[in-house]
Amino acid sequence: MPAADLLSSQGLRLDGRRPNELRRIRCKLGVFTQPDGSAYLEQGNTKVLAAVYGPHQASKSKMSTEAVVVNCQYSMATFSTGERKNRPRGDRKSQEMSMHLRQALTAAIKTEMYPRSQIDIYIEVLQADGGTYCASVNAASLALIDSGIPLRAYVTACSASLGRQSATHEPLVDVSHIEEAADGVCLTVASLPSTGSIALLEMSNRLHMDHFNIVLTRAMQGCRDIEVILDGAVRQHLAEGWTKQDVITI
Amino acid sequence: MWTTKTFLTKTKRGNILKIVREHYLRDDLLCGSAACNTCPHKDDELVLETSPDSPCALFDFPHYLVLDTNVVLHQIDVLEEDALTNVIILQTVLEEVKHQNTAVFQRLLDIISNKKRKFYSFVNEHHKDTYIERSPGEKQNDRNDRSIRKATSWYEYHLSINSLDGKFPKIILVTDDENNRKLAQEDGIICCSIKDYIENVSGFVGLVDKLSKNVMPETCSKDALYPAHLTPSQIHEGIRCGQLYQGTYHASRENFLEGNASVNGFEKSILLQGHIGINRAIDGDIVAIEIFPKEEWRKPSNIVLEDKTEDPENILEEETVLLDAAKPVDNDDEITPTGKVVGIIRRKWRQYCGILMPSKFHGATRHLFTPAEKRIPRVRIETRQSEILASQRILVALDSWPRNSRYPLGHLVRALGPIGDKDAENEVILLEHDVPHARFSEAVLNCLPPNDWTIPEEERQKRVDLRDVCVCSVDPPGCTDIDDALHARRLGSSDGLATYEVGVHIADVTYFVKPDTALDKEAASRSTTVYLVDRRIDMVPELLSSNLCSLRGGEERLAFSCVWEMDENANVLSTKFHKSIIKSKAAMTYEEAQIAIDDSSRKDEIAKSLRVLNKLAKKLKKKRLDSGALLLASPEIRFQVDSETHDPIEVQAKKIVDTNSMVEEFMLLANTSVAQKILEEFPQCAMLRRHPAPPPANFDTFLKAARQQGFEIDVSTNKSFSKSLNEAVIPERPFFNTLLRIMATRCMQQAAYFVSGSLAADHYYHYGLACPIYTHFTSPIRRYADVVVHRLLAASVAGAGPHAALLDARRQAALADTLNYRHRHAQLAGRASVALNTHILFKNRVEIESAVVLAVKRNALQVLIPKYGLEGPLYLPSEKFTYNEEEHVQKCGDVVLKTFDELTVRLSLDSSNLQHRKLVFELVEPHVPGFSYVPDAGNMEVDDVADTAAPSSEKTHKKREIPAAAAPKPSKKRKSRRK
Amino acid sequence: MAGLLLSSTEKVFIVHGVQEDFRSDGRSNIDYRPMELETDVVSHASGSARLRLANTDILVGIKTEIDTPKPDKPDMGKIEFLVDGSANATPEFEGRGGENLASSISNTMQRAYHSSQAFDLKQLCIVEGKQCWKLYVDILILECGGNWFDAVSLATKAALFNTRIPLVKALLMDGGNVDLQLSDDPYDFKFLDVGSAPLLVTLCKIGEKCVVDPSAEEESCSVISLIVGITGNSKSYCADKGASNITDVDIKCSTISMNGPGSLAPKTLKNAIHQGM
Repeated sequence: MPAADLLSSQGLRLDGRRPNELRRIRCKLGVFTQPDGSAYLEQGNTKVLAAVYGPHQASKSKMSTEAVVVNCQYSMATFSTGERKNRPRGDRKSQEMSMHLRQALTAAIKTEMYPRSQIDIYIEVLQADGGTYCASVNAASLALIDSGIPLRAYVTACSASLGRQSATHEPLVDVSHIEEAADGVCLTVASLPSTGSIALLEMSNRLHMDHFNIVLTRAMQGCRDIEVILDGAVRQHLAEGWTKQDVITI
Repeated sequence: MWTTKTFLTKTKRGNILKIVREHYLRDDLLCGSAACNTCPHKDDELVLETSPDSPCALFDFPHYLVLDTNVVLHQIDVLEEDALTNVIILQTVLEEVKHQNTAVFQRLLDIISNKKRKFYSFVNEHHKDTYIERSPGEKQNDRNDRSIRKATSWYEYHLSINSLDGKFPKIILVTDDENNRKLAQEDGIICCSIKDYIENVSGFVGLVDKLSKNVMPETCSKDALYPAHLTPSQIHEGIRCGQLYQGTYHASRENFLEGNASVNGFEKSILLQGHIGINRAIDGDIVAIEIFPKEEWRKPSNIVLEDKTEDPENILEEETVLLDAAKPVDNDDEITPTGKVVGIIRRKWRQYCGILMPSKFHGATRHLFTPAEKRIPRVRIETRQSEILASQRILVALDSWPRNSRYPLGHLVRALGPIGDKDAENEVILLEHDVPHARFSEAVLNCLPPNDWTIPEEERQKRVDLRDVCVCSVDPPGCTDIDDALHARRLGSSDGLATYEVGVHIADVTYFVKPDTALDKEAASRSTTVYLVDRRIDMVPELLSSNLCSLRGGEERLAFSCVWEMDENANVLSTKFHKSIIKSKAAMTYEEAQIAIDDSSRKDEIAKSLRVLNKLAKKLKKKRLDSGALLLASPEIRFQVDSETHDPIEVQAKKIVDTNSMVEEFMLLANTSVAQKILEEFPQCAMLRRHPAPPPANFDTFLKAARQQGFEIDVSTNKSFSKSLNEAVIPERPFFNTLLRIMATRCMQQAAYFVSGSLAADHYYHYGLACPIYTHFTSPIRRYADVVVHRLLAASVAGAGPHAALLDARRQAALADTLNYRHRHAQLAGRASVALNTHILFKNRVEIESAVVLAVKRNALQVLIPKYGLEGPLYLPSEKFTYNEEEHVQKCGDVVLKTFDELTVRLSLDSSNLQHRKLVFELVEPHVPGFSYVPDAGNMEVDDVADTAAPSSEKTHKKREIPAAAAPKPSKKRKSRRK
Repeated sequence: MAGLLLSSTEKVFIVHGVQEDFRSDGRSNIDYRPMELETDVVSHASGSARLRLANTDILVGIKTEIDTPKPDKPDMGKIEFLVDGSANATPEFEGRGGENLASSISNTMQRAYHSSQAFDLKQLCIVEGKQCWKLYVDILILECGGNWFDAVSLATKAALFNTRIPLVKALLMDGGNVDLQLSDDPYDFKFLDVGSAPLLVTLCKIGEKCVVDPSAEEESCSVISLIVGITGNSKSYCADKGASNITDVDIKCSTISMNGPGSLAPKTLKNAIHQGM
C-alpha cells in the first residue's frame, strides 16, 4: 500500500531527499576505550552507539563447541524517541530487535573461528528517527571491524518504502520516522552486499506482490551504498592510525 | 551529490512533544529557465523561455513572474487562462496553497503539468541558497513572505550571473500585500499587484472580468450592513468553551432570509433567520453559531420569500414580515433552537451557474448575477461585456463578502451559452451538479480495444463457455448499455421439488477496464453514468458501454456469471460465480418479455426460460416482502422525445409490468449473493451498500398526515411499516396507497456505499431491502462501484491476486465517498433535467389535471400531479386562507385543504423570470370564489401565458405579492434503479 | 569494575601515592581529571548534555511532560531521575545487571534535588493545582571510569541549564479544566534557573586521606567514600541544611570519622569544581 503524500510533485521526499538517496551517514570507529570494539553511527537523526566485547570465554550454559556464541542486546535511551520511553530495554520490541540483530550479525561473523567463546554486542540508541534497526546493524558492523573479529563481509542494513508520484510507484530508500509513521509499507533488509546475500528481511504493513521487487531492489541498492560509506570510514580510521585504542593505560 | 547540511524544524503537539525533522538542502535543484547556463538542465526540464514576450504593458522587458500565495488562492481563474506564461511557482507557495485549499491546489497542479503554460515549480525550501530559517519573533506568514522574496532575488541573481550577453529575463514578484511589496522594493525586487498587472495585459478579452475582487471582508466597517465575524481564534475558543457551535449552513430554498444549520448534539437543526442571523453565510459553509437563550427561540416562518430588491433598505422591511411570521405561539412544538452565525469556519464556495442582470445604467461595469441555485444569494460582478452576457448562461466564482456589501463579490469564469439553448441548459445542469462531462481524453481512448475486437483465444480457454445456454436480456426500450442478462433451465428434482439452474450474467467490464489505467481513473472519477432526458453522460466510452460490454442479442460477449441452483420455492441450494462467455439469444424490452410470457402459444426456449424466471421471481419477492422489505414508490415520468429536435412532446408516468420486477428480483439476489461472497473473502475492504433505518423524527409529518386520513402507520420496524402500508388502502381512491408510499419514500435516509472495514457489522443492514448485507454488482457499465465489486469477486473466485489498490482500505473508503457524492448528484442532475424538459413541454400548453396535496405550508400547498409525476407549490393568499398550524390545514370558508386531498388544478408555465421558469399551479376544484380559476373565462389567458416569453401580461403578474419558488422539489430519496 | 584487575602491589602504590598527595596519574588529592562537557547533543530531548570525565562518559537527556501536581504541593512541578547503565559501559550491566547501582545514583540525585533551596520546583508550575511540568532526567552511563556521582550531577546540571521549556498559555475553562495553548513560534521558550542546582562531590577515603574525583582504580582501593551535595549558592552548603544531602554510602564506616572531612572538604572542593568547569 503506497501511502500518499510521501513524494512531492517535484519528486522530492518530505525531508528533501530524492527517492534513491540515503540520509546523511556519519560514523566513527573506536569511540570508547573499554570495549574491544566500538562505533558511533548517525543516520540522519538516528544515532546509535555500538560496543563489542569479546571474544571471551562463554558462560557454561550458552557455550557451543561448534561456533562462537553471539550475544546481542538492543536498548534505547529513554529520551531517544519523541515520546519518552519508560524503560530502555526488556520490552518486546527491544527483545525482537536483539534477536534480529543477532541473526544478521551472526551471518557475517566467521563464527567457526572461536568455538566455546562468546561475543557480546551491545547497541545503545541515543536518538531514534526511524530505521533504528538499520543503523544498529551498520554501527555493529563497524564495531565488529574495530574489534578485529573476522567477518565474511560487511553486513549492512537498509529499509525501503513505496511512494507514489502521480501514477507511478517509486520506492523510497532509507525510511525516516515520518515516512514510517505515514502508514506505508516498510521493508527492512540486512545483507552482505559484497556477496549479494540477504541476512534478514522483514516487512511491516501490506505490500502488493507487484511492487515487492522494486522495493527490495531499492533496499538492496541502499545496502550497497551504505557499504561504500562504511568502507570509507574504516579506511580513514585505519589511515589515522589506531592511536586512540592505545593511549590510555594506567 | 547532495549537501549534507541538516536543519531541524520543530513542532509541538498534544502532550507538547518536541519533534525534530531533517531538512535536506540541495544544490542540484534546477531553476528551469532556458536563459540559465549554470544549471545542468536536460532539454525537457527547461520550462521557462529564454526571452519571453511581455504580455503586460507596464513592463516592456522579458520577465518571469513569481506569485505569492494569496494571488494563487484568489486568482486561480485568471491563472487558468492562457494569458500568463513563464511563471515560477515556489514550493513555499505550493505548500501554503495545498494547506489552505486542496481544490485550488489541484487546479494549480493541473496548470503546472500543462507544458504549454510554462509554469515552473521551484523547490526553494530545499535549495541551499534560498532556504531561510524563521527568525525569533517572526510569524510564520512573514517568514514565508521573506522566503518568497529571497527566492525572487535569488532568481534574479542566478540568471544574471552567468549571462553571456547581459540579456536575461527579469523577475517580477506579484503580490497584493502592500507591506510585502514595500519590503521587496527595499530588496530591489520589481513587484506589482495582480490587478495592475492583469489590467495591462492586452489581447485577452474578458481577462479582467475574471479578476477576483478580494477585499478583506471584515475591514470594511464603514456603512457596514453586517456585524463583523469573529476571528478564527475567537471561534476556536468559543467552540472549545461550549459557547459556540459548529455546523454546516443550509440556506432555505424558499426563503432567502432563512436557513438552518445542523449541529452535533441538537436533534433539530438550528434555525437562522434574517440577514444578521445568517450574516453572510452561504449554503454549504461551515459556520460558527451562537445559540440564543430558549425564550428567544422561534420557528421556521413557513413563508416563501424571494430576494428581488436592489435597495438595502428593503431588506429590513422583508425581514420584519419574516420575523413576525416566526414568532412562536406558546407551546408550539415547532419551536426550533434559534441562533445566529457569528463567524465562518470554512467557506465551501464553488462556481455557480446563473444569469446576469445587467445594470440599468448603460455602460456600467458593475452588475448583479443571479445564480440558478436558489439557495445562493445574488453576486455582484464586474464586467465590460454585459451586453453580450445578458442573454447568456454564465459561470461565476465568489471572491469575498465585505461587511458593507449587500451581496457577495465575485467574478466571471466563463459564459456557457445562450439562455434557453438546450446545450447551454444541459451544461448548467451538469455544472451545477458537478458532473464531469468533458470528452474522454486521448489517454483514456488509448486504453480502449480496437473497434473490431473479438474474444481472443486465450480468453476463451479461461472462461466457462455458456454460448449454448439460452440467455436473454430484458431492459427498458431504447437501452443500449445492456449490462445484465438472465437464463433459467430445469435441472431435475430433489426432495420432490423441481430444481432449476438460474443464471445472472453481468457484462465483464473489468476485462476492458484494467486497474490504474487512465480509463479506470476516469471511470472512477465519473463514478456513474448520468442520464439526462435527452443525453447520457457515459462513465466509460461508448465503444465499451454500447458495444463491447453491452450484452447485445446474438453476439458473443464476456460476462461475469452468478449461477444458482434453486428449488421451485426459490430456495437457493448452491451458488457459484465464474467468468464466462455468453451469446444472448434476444435483447428484449420489458413489454416484449411480458408478451412472451403471457402468450401461451409460444413454446420456444426463451419463453419457457422467462416463465420459470417470472415464477421464481414472484416467490423471491414474496419472501423479501415477508422479511420486511419496503415497497416504496416515487413518481417517475418518461418523456417522448421528438426525434429531430430532441424536444419532449409528451410526458407520461412510467409503466410498470411484471417483468420489471422479475429482472429486479434476480439482480437483488445476485447483489446479495455477491455481497456475502466478497465480505467473506475481504472482511476489511469489501465495497458494500447500506441503507440506515430512518430516525423516527423523520416520520412526524408523515404520520400526522396519515392520521388525518384515518390511518395509523406503524414505523417501528421496516416489517411493521411495510405491513401497515399495505393495509392503508382506500378502495375508492386507488392512487392513495401509492401516494402514501411516495411520501414514505421521502422519510427515508439515503443509501450509501461504504467499505466493510470502516463500520461495525451491525451497520451493514439495508433497511429498504431488509437484507443484512448488500452491494452493487449488476451494472458495471454505468456504476463504478460495480466495477470495484467485480474486481473483488474476481479475486476471490479466480484466485488471481487482487490488485494492490483494492486492498487499500483508506483508498477504498475515499472512493466510497466519491461514489456516494457522484451518485447523489447524478440523481439530482437527472431530476433537474426532467424539470427542464417539463418546462419545455409546457411552454406551449395549459392543462387541467387532477392533483393531490402532498404537504400543507403556511402560504402554499405542495401538490403532485400523478399523471405527469409533477410536483410544485400552489400558492394560497393569506387574505383568503387561514393556516392552522396544529392541524396542518388551510381553510377558506367551508373549504378545508389538507394533506392527501384530491384537487383539480390548472397547469401552465410562467416564463416571466428567464432563470427560473416555473410551472404555475392554480386551483380549479374545490372552488373558492375569487381565487379558483374558472376554466370558461380562461381561453384568453391561455394565450397570454403561452407567450410569456414576451413581456408578460398584467394578469400573470399581479397574482401574488411574493413570487414563488417552483422547481419540483427533489425528493429526499429515490428508490428506483436500485438493482 | 569490569576487567579491572589490580594486584595488591598496585593497590599499595596507589594508597601510598595518595598519602603523599601525589596520585598515580600525577594529580594532587584535590585535583579533578580533565573533563569535556557538551550540551544540546540529543535533538529529541528538551535539554541534554554529555560529559566526559576522563574515561567516564555520561549522557543526560531531559524530557518534559505535562502532569498534574501533587495535592500537597499544588504549586510545584515534578522532577524524576532515571539512571541507566548502558551495557556498552560494561557487560555487567547487560539485562538488569546495572540496576542496583543505577537506583542508588538516582536516589541520591532525587534527594539532592529534593530541597527547594537546591532546585526550585515552582518554576515548573503552569496552573496551580492543575497543571505543571514534569521533568524526566534520564541519565545514561556510556562508559565507566570512576566517580559517577560527580559526573552525573554535573552533567545533569548542564542538561537542565540547557533545557528549553516551551511557553504555554493556560486558559481556565468551565468545569475547572485547563486548556493549554502553545505558541507556534519555536523561539517561545524559557530556560530554567539552575543556579542553585546541587552538585555531588565524592570524597574517597584512601588510607588516611581523602581524594576527590577518584578514578576507577582508586575507587577499588577505597572502602569508604562520602558524597556531599553542594548547592550552587556558595554561602550555604547542603551539609548544614538538610541531613538528607549527606549520604554515607558505606554503612560500615563510623559517622564520627566521616564528619571531620565532610565539613571541611566542600569549601576547598568548590573551588576545584569551578576550576574543573
